[in-house]
Amino acid sequence: MLLRIFTLLFAGYFVLVGSVFATARQIENYNNQGIMTIASSEQTDDLSFDDFEADFGDDFSAGTAVAEKLISDPFQPFNRGVFWFNDKLYFYAFKPIAKGYRFIFPRPVRVSVGNFFSNLATPIRAGNALLQLKFRDFSTEIYRFVINTTFGIAGLFDPAESVAGVEKSVEDFGQTLGHFGVGHGFYLVLPIVGPSSLRDGTGVFVDSFADPFRYANLETREFIGVKFLDAETRLSLDRDTYEGIVQDSIDPYLFIRAAYAQRRLAQVGEDTYNINIFEGPLFDGDFFNPFDWFGF
Amino acid sequence: MKKILISGLLILSFAVSGFALPQPQARVKQMVDSILGVLQNPGMSPAEKKAQVSGRVQEYLNMQSMSRRTLGSYWKDATEDQRQRFSDLFVKVLEGTYLNRIGDYSGGTVKYLKQRVKDDKAIVDTAIISAELEIPVQYKMIYRDGSWQVFDIVIEGVSLIKNYRSSYGEIIRRDGYEGLLALMEKKVLAMEGQ
Repeated sequence: MLLRIFTLLFAGYFVLVGSVFATARQIENYNNQGIMTIASSEQTDDLSFDDFEADFGDDFSAGTAVAEKLISDPFQPFNRGVFWFNDKLYFYAFKPIAKGYRFIFPRPVRVSVGNFFSNLATPIRAGNALLQLKFRDFSTEIYRFVINTTFGIAGLFDPAESVAGVEKSVEDFGQTLGHFGVGHGFYLVLPIVGPSSLRDGTGVFVDSFADPFRYANLETREFIGVKFLDAETRLSLDRDTYEGIVQDSIDPYLFIRAAYAQRRLAQVGEDTYNINIFEGPLFDGDFFNPFDWFGF
Repeated sequence: MKKILISGLLILSFAVSGFALPQPQARVKQMVDSILGVLQNPGMSPAEKKAQVSGRVQEYLNMQSMSRRTLGSYWKDATEDQRQRFSDLFVKVLEGTYLNRIGDYSGGTVKYLKQRVKDDKAIVDTAIISAELEIPVQYKMIYRDGSWQVFDIVIEGVSLIKNYRSSYGEIIRRDGYEGLLALMEKKVLAMEGQ
């Protein structure tokens, strides 16, 4: 009941934003004829004529594409040094601790700790969504924060996603800069943080001003402890992604650099799907999801 | 009126593609179902599963196209012998990378979101859904020899082929073509040794 009231409070705002977005999308669709789109009947009725060519990239330019430089890397020797340092730090410090953490605390506990940190980072995501004029993502973040802070007990649980199917939208200042056309500059491997770039490293610094922990009057030691717990929680939930890359690629440095460049590019030009992962009569039809009520 | 026109257009496009070519999405579903069939079979040992998956996947992939796109501009300069050696090694690297992960499989289903077709090219959007993760996976396909074949897989916006092309390209610039092949050989040996 309360949930309904909360969501209704946002309703007026959603209607406004929703209609604007729906029209924009329709115009886009009709402009893009000549490409056949067949949506599978049962899963989705999304008939958008996305930019097919853009999605294919240069993949069909007869195989003679120039060797791809996904991101420029003039300081490679330096970056490789930091990469080596991070690698050792990972295998000899961070990972063993994460393993111990994983052993002592069951997964649900660690997921909740992760949810808690993620919920507190809402200002970063919401602020950047707003800066990019992504009002839909901004609304989802506010909605998620309200629902998860109250019903999710201070953000330990994520009913906004698990019940209502409203997913987090990942935004940061690096993406905001990218959204307005700022390029990476050059690739940068930061100590502890890992793959970054001039743009995204600046983004991390700017985002730190929207981090609530900054204003929590913590001592430096406590602050580092909090950040360390956040990082270790994430590591403990990860399924040895880094180990896999190191084991399987000829040159992990190059592989991670390429993946980073591609991933960030995709995030900047992101087109998110929102699928309700819960099946069953109660959850069918996105009953709890206000974004679905108004056809986002 | 507008509605009728649009629905007419849709029916037409549906008919055209349905008539001329088999559906790429159906093809991806076939591949995924066939792999999941093996993975979810409790009676098989990991080694058996590996062999089964390897055999099944290959008929859906266009390895020649994958190798050529991975090398990009370097494909042109390579000799026939080098191309062949590269293709053979590349298959083994991919197998070593992905088949060794088979043991990590712990459930999950695939949702088919949409397909887009243009001439002999297609993009199929899917999502892998597991307990708390949802990973968008996109298949890029090409129509060759009477069937739709996968030549690239894009996971969360990261294209497999682009990743290999970018890193292999840099290794070729640094160590030359033979240098890359030597490194690949070493990697394949290490993978097989595990």
